[in-house]
Amino acid sequence: MDFTIDTEQKALRDAVRELAGSLADNAPSTGDVPVGPNEHDEKAWSALAEMGVLGLTVPEELGGMGATPVELMLAAQELGKARVQSALPEAVLAAALLAELGTEEQKALLEGVSAGETLIVPALHEPMCSFSLQAHDVTATESGDGWALSGTKAPVRYAAAADRLLVTARAGEQTGVFLIEGAQAEGDVVTFDGASAQLVGSLDGAADALQRAVNVATVALLAEALGAMEGALAMTTEYLKSRKQFGVPIMTFQTLTQRAADMYVSVELARSAVQFAAMVAAEDPGATDHIRRARVVVGKAGRHVGQEAIQLHGGIGMTAEYAVGHYTTRLTAIEHTLGDTRQTIGELARTVRDHGAVDVFA
Amino acid sequence: MHRHLSEEDAAFKEKIREFFTTAIPEEIRTKAKEGRELTKEDIVTSQRILNEHGYAVPHWPVEYGGQDWTELQRHIWRDEMQAAGVPQPLPFNASMVGPVIAAFGSKELKDRFLPKTASLDIWWCQGFSEPDAGSDLAGLRTTAVKDGEDWIVNGQKTWTTLGQYADWIFALVRTNPEAPKKQQGISFLLIDMTTPGIEVRPIKLIDGGREVNEVFFDNVRVPGDQLVGEENAGWSYAKFLLGNERVGVAPVGMIKRWLAEAKEYAAQVKQGEGVVLDDPLVAARIAELEAEAMALELTVLRVAGNSKDGRPDPASSILKLRGSQLEQDTLELITDIAGPMSLMWSEADGGPVPVWATVSTPRYLNFRKASIYGGSNEVQRGIISGTILGLKG
Repeated sequence: MDFTIDTEQKALRDAVRELAGSLADNAPSTGDVPVGPNEHDEKAWSALAEMGVLGLTVPEELGGMGATPVELMLAAQELGKARVQSALPEAVLAAALLAELGTEEQKALLEGVSAGETLIVPALHEPMCSFSLQAHDVTATESGDGWALSGTKAPVRYAAAADRLLVTARAGEQTGVFLIEGAQAEGDVVTFDGASAQLVGSLDGAADALQRAVNVATVALLAEALGAMEGALAMTTEYLKSRKQFGVPIMTFQTLTQRAADMYVSVELARSAVQFAAMVAAEDPGATDHIRRARVVVGKAGRHVGQEAIQLHGGIGMTAEYAVGHYTTRLTAIEHTLGDTRQTIGELARTVRDHGAVDVFA
Repeated sequence: MHRHLSEEDAAFKEKIREFFTTAIPEEIRTKAKEGRELTKEDIVTSQRILNEHGYAVPHWPVEYGGQDWTELQRHIWRDEMQAAGVPQPLPFNASMVGPVIAAFGSKELKDRFLPKTASLDIWWCQGFSEPDAGSDLAGLRTTAVKDGEDWIVNGQKTWTTLGQYADWIFALVRTNPEAPKKQQGISFLLIDMTTPGIEVRPIKLIDGGREVNEVFFDNVRVPGDQLVGEENAGWSYAKFLLGNERVGVAPVGMIKRWLAEAKEYAAQVKQGEGVVLDDPLVAARIAELEAEAMALELTVLRVAGNSKDGRPDPASSILKLRGSQLEQDTLELITDIAGPMSLMWSEADGGPVPVWATVSTPRYLNFRKASIYGGSNEVQRGIISGTILGLKG
């Protein structure tokens, strides 16, 4: 196993770091700072496209960079550290699905996706449903030479800005993936009432392809979380050094420094898990159990680091003007995107009988 | 960045697995796997076989029995050894005093001690902690005073693991009480346990075992040529030793084996109409521990190759901390799986209650030590916050 990155990968990471820094500088840092789920930022999106980030995992012959989840990880980590939120994980998922399942015509969309001109996002989540690759209440019925969708998807992040959606919908006992243009979104809620859509690939092949696409997008999410944890730990460490109470820097108090050490432990274990997940996905995007284990490690680490970052800052960590709580906000969102820690532990629990010891080389 | 093993490493893994599972007597490996106490003979037998094949001290210099392996190959060696239930080479010999003598000892000391240390013809024990010098190790008070060419040692050591079997002890002693800093007056001495004036008294622990001892020194005469390195430089050798201990101790292979065994046990113990493993809470704990053990193993692999200028990657300081926590969590789980059977304490075979269950509580209690020895987890956190994060009290 080799965790080192090559010169080209270093160059990519440095370039994204610089870009992410400049994008972060443009965000408001005082006054009425926005909180919660972000809006799609066209300018930031174009900048990411220009650097090639959006097409990193899109095959070269389809207009992308033909890189692997390792490069995607390096980029997403820098974005997370700089607190640049974007639709990158969503766009990666949609692109992976189209690249694997799409017709020539559908695949042709990927050039625009890589260029930042076409935004395609997945619509998987449904109201009052835990995360699932199977659609629950959204249905697809054949209509003429296409399909008609009915039901409600929510939340569909970036739906309002998207040009097209990739929607999971139930067709009989199976779930298919459907491409739809011009869906009407109310914020993150999209309701279909017989809207006409194209089936992407076949009903039979959808489940495995969806899992692979989710796995690759999960690498982007976990890497972004790692970057956010690094940022939160760095801010917390700085604060412990500079903040004074009782006439001394608060790093004088072991009750705080011991906890900062535990944050460091969580970050380093998460780093190993994220890099491993990227290597696994680069080799075999279908190695779901390893990706799930990484998700559990990063989910728990993110919760720990995010909560402690606020607590060790005290009151200032609660304010919208101060950045550290925004890391925690994003970590919380990532933990609940495309699955969550609780549900993932449950999925892994159902497979513990299938192996003896976990083998990281297999 | 890639994860697969090269063909060479995969072949290495096969070869070494084959060796561990065929060359080391199964009786010893089964005892170790079941968590039963190993005799001195078990440990010596196992290490002799390892040493004959060059597998006892691969991290030592090649001329003294080491192997020219990569960090990954060392990991595979350790991992396969623990997976097969092979008792690890005695840490006091292989990981502690051996590397110190190899790095800081004279040619004479190396030739005199290293071959017998590798083969376990000398059984070493550690004389570091004292009643008033635990986490504050540099506060130790055992003295060594020059008398001609010899040293006269007086004082007391404690927590000396398996001292009852030991032929020799490596001890930190105060040789300059006037040094401006207490760390500057310490030396590293090698002492024959049969020297007159040494008394070993066992300390019984809460699991009933007698693995640690007090060692008393009453005017013990130690020849001057048994000083390692330079007089009053012992603290730096001790730090080197403890650093190796921290890096080497993440017992990933053992934790993985325990988790695999925990599943076998949980699949055998009945609960309601099914077995304990059907309980979603038990399965979830196992799944979570498997994920955490995976992250630890990956961290071992990631930082092992990252040493810079001979110094370990700072992230290696988390291995002792996290490794001990996961050992403890896993043994806690096994005791929970044993349930009421854990109320019996016995190593006897053949009863209706299996040995793994009747040793589960003592073993769980015994491993509470893991977060205390080798620098307690609080000390490890202090190292991380001070050295890595730059948080200075």
